[in-house]
Amino acid sequence: MGEDLILPAVLACIIFFGSLIIIFSEKLHRSITAIAGGTLMVIVGRILNFYSEEAALEAIDFNTLGLLLGMMMLVAMLEPTGFFQYLAVLAARASKGKPVRLFVLLSVVTTILAMFLDNVTTVVIVAPVTILICEIIGISPLPFLMSEALLSNTGGVATLIGDPPNVLIGSAAGFSFNDFLIHSLPIVLVAWAAALFLLLRLFKKDLSKRPRSIKAVMRLNPAETLNEPLVARRILIVLAGAVLFFFVHHALHVSPSLVALSAAAVALVWVRPNLDELFKHIEWSVLIFFASLFVMVGGLEAAGVLASVIKVFERASDIHPVLFGVAVIWTTAILSAVIDNVPITIALIPVIRGLGDAGMDINPLWWALAFGAGFGGSGTIIGATANIIVVTLSEKTRYPITSKIWNKRGLPVMLVTCAIASILYALVYPLF
Amino acid sequence: MTVTSCMKKHVVSILKTATIREAAAIIVSKHIGLLPVVDKNNKPVGVIGIRDLLTLELPDFVSFVADVDFVHDFGAVETTRPSARTLGKSVKTLMKPAISVDEDCGLLRAYALMLQHNLHDMLVVSKDGKLIGVASRVDVGVAVLSAWGKI
Repeated sequence: MGEDLILPAVLACIIFFGSLIIIFSEKLHRSITAIAGGTLMVIVGRILNFYSEEAALEAIDFNTLGLLLGMMMLVAMLEPTGFFQYLAVLAARASKGKPVRLFVLLSVVTTILAMFLDNVTTVVIVAPVTILICEIIGISPLPFLMSEALLSNTGGVATLIGDPPNVLIGSAAGFSFNDFLIHSLPIVLVAWAAALFLLLRLFKKDLSKRPRSIKAVMRLNPAETLNEPLVARRILIVLAGAVLFFFVHHALHVSPSLVALSAAAVALVWVRPNLDELFKHIEWSVLIFFASLFVMVGGLEAAGVLASVIKVFERASDIHPVLFGVAVIWTTAILSAVIDNVPITIALIPVIRGLGDAGMDINPLWWALAFGAGFGGSGTIIGATANIIVVTLSEKTRYPITSKIWNKRGLPVMLVTCAIASILYALVYPLF
Repeated sequence: MTVTSCMKKHVVSILKTATIREAAAIIVSKHIGLLPVVDKNNKPVGVIGIRDLLTLELPDFVSFVADVDFVHDFGAVETTRPSARTLGKSVKTLMKPAISVDEDCGLLRAYALMLQHNLHDMLVVSKDGKLIGVASRVDVGVAVLSAWGKI
């Protein structure tokens, strides 16, 4: 690196890592930190002539933002219809009030929803009904809330749209919806089943308590939870259409964001919801967080920091590629557990792309990144947004989830799922 | 007319050193909805009402699920009672801040404050801050409306 590039690189690193430390410390909302960091990166880039406003705009991956916005609008329209409560009540009735069966069924419902919808929203909607079902049966909702967050995080890794890091990786690597079903889904299924089994063991004591009132859960009528059945039916038809298009988007040369935004547009025209109400349910702060991180990482790239990181990794290319991939899984997982998987993924994407430019076979590395970012988030409360949501909710109940409780269950889940991903990654490496 | 003209002068209150169990017992025996919490100089430091006490028994889901009409049977919740440890805690852990008016406060000002703070009863204090009465919305409202007969 030339001397004239040292100052920009040092300042870009200070801005990026300083922002990560502030996000980690939770002293400031992560979106506020990202906006301030992104803006500062552009200002410093302009003064030192290494980053321009045009380059900052180009650094934003609008494919990712479009896909997230489209799916958020669909979920925001589906949420008030009561469809999610409907599914949870169906699961509760099917369990006949037996805790272990309820635990498995609610986990399955949440995971399937989280594979096709934003898992944060899924948890936000399913968690309150979970508390309701547990309270009327007379058991602690704590194991259920934790498993919903952990298993929806794990299950979300299976699809292109199930997890924000996947949206980012899919967009950067050009992976289709089907690529995820072929490469990620089988490994995730094994990891998910292992996580469920592990959670059943870890919560054995809580789940073996005899429920006090099974009759109450059987008196819940799923049909009564649906406030707007017609609207729910219309949005589900649109969602089914979107999923069909996700299967063939690659063959049609259409980006996933166009599929999601088109589905949202069709639903908007068909349902015609109150826009003010709808926009209140869109997580704008998440979209701004993503855009600001893209700008910050774009600055790191322009300042030559990522080129230096790529050179370091290139020197490590003597390491066996399988071992290198496994190292990527664990490094990403640990960083995701400690900070947040979204900035880590956004920062590592250009590094992996750079390794590809240098001649390395990076296809397997994209999958390693997806597994590390997805499974690593389970380790700590701050590892994934869904974890923060259930913990915040539990703090307003009689059963608060503390860091100690989380670490005793979340950390083993992270270790087991990452270990399974590593073993299967090594076994099927030639297929990636 | 000031608020003292319509307030109840015999106020049942509880010392801030009392427990939640003692507050509940007074509310039950006196059949009242609100209990001012006072210090040893009879100065109000808070209020505790039936609503505050019932939060100890109300299930958590009521605060999270917007529409509970579909829950026909509250099941185990109906027989859940607060623990003896919870009832032994100080009233200070559950009380709300005391909002009061001075004895020379006008009726409409007292009523407006009750509306704004969503109160059903307003504490009335003397110049030196001591609790001298409680006026309900009905007390204040009736006092205001009674003047209409002379119009």
